[in-house]
Amino acid sequence: MEVLFLLAGGAAAGLFGSLLGLGGGILIVPLLTLGAGLPIREAVGVSLVCVIVTSGAAAGVYLERHTANLRLGMLLELFTATGALVGGLVAFLLPDRVLAGLFALLLGYVAFTMLKAARKPATVAATTPVASQQSAPEADTATGREAAIRRLSGPGYRVGRIRFGILGSVLAGVVSALLGIGGGIVKVPVMNLVMGVPLRVATATSNLMIGVTATASAVIYLLRGGINAYVAGPTAIGVFVGATVGSRIAGRVNVRVLRFLFVAVQVYVAFQMVLRALGLTS
Amino acid sequence: MTGVPTGGGAGRDLDVMIARLLTFGTYVSIALLVAGYLAMLAGGISPYAPAPGLDPGAIVADILAGRAPGFLWLGLLAVIATPTARIVAAMVGFARMREWEMASVSVGILVVITLSVILARLVEA
Repeated sequence: MEVLFLLAGGAAAGLFGSLLGLGGGILIVPLLTLGAGLPIREAVGVSLVCVIVTSGAAAGVYLERHTANLRLGMLLELFTATGALVGGLVAFLLPDRVLAGLFALLLGYVAFTMLKAARKPATVAATTPVASQQSAPEADTATGREAAIRRLSGPGYRVGRIRFGILGSVLAGVVSALLGIGGGIVKVPVMNLVMGVPLRVATATSNLMIGVTATASAVIYLLRGGINAYVAGPTAIGVFVGATVGSRIAGRVNVRVLRFLFVAVQVYVAFQMVLRALGLTS
Repeated sequence: MTGVPTGGGAGRDLDVMIARLLTFGTYVSIALLVAGYLAMLAGGISPYAPAPGLDPGAIVADILAGRAPGFLWLGLLAVIATPTARIVAAMVGFARMREWEMASVSVGILVVITLSVILARLVEA
């Protein structure tokens, strides 16, 4: 029964994550800590494995359709991987209670942004990326740099503000390694709103990057005994199945209702994580 | 927005080649994990039982004996190896297209992943 719980829980996390455009990590860590009683660091290690699996499956499709920007993704993942390396090492120095507190903050932030998106469903998609409006940014006049930016850009958009993208990528890597998430909640807004990458391309490119980002820290968790094979196996299978089903039924589900339900769950989980951070629960 | 990758036809080919590599790696990983999961069910192993750590030397023997840890660890290693293989493939692809900047970026990512392994081992020791 316990094996089935992990399989079913992983499938639910993968399904909801896929329908709501989130990685499964934000659901897997609470599932394993609050549902299965695992220490948060062990849950993060398992979650990183699941995140790599979902990234591999999704990124394959996005690349085949040429939606993901391989060059931009690889440039930025050099920095997400560096951030993940630092985060992976720091994670073993922090007490469980600090990690729980950080996770509660993350859940609060995600719940807030989802509520905002639910109230204004068209705003994000309709936003014209700031950087794409710039015809010739002042800093990009050098020929070599201009050629490099052209190679990183895609049809209909021009990538800008690469330094901000690099900073955001390092941050996304650290957050991913500490909390076992893909880091898309940082990368997608940075690429879309700051660098001028269309939302659809930013989401696809973020999906591509997640695999390498999570690998840099998953290696540390693996070698330091932070990944439990008996838990990781069934959970990863469940997440894979759930995410695959989710991507197929996404167009037929009322995501608005689902989003409000999900926010309620997040608020509850954040409350539990706060209790854990304060040492008021095991 | 569906885009045409820069690098023309060769860029498209690289996208497709990497896409297939990722899909293949993911399916192989999942197949191994499913085998491990079935072995857990057959052996009545609880996921909360003390799990054996990674022992690369024991993987082949475990698989030949049909034991769950062998399949699970090989599957988990395949999961982690898939994005790394993607970077190696991209490095080769960019070098063939003489895109030395992107080939260097690929090498940089591989260096970071290698550093993760080295630092994890150093800290553990």
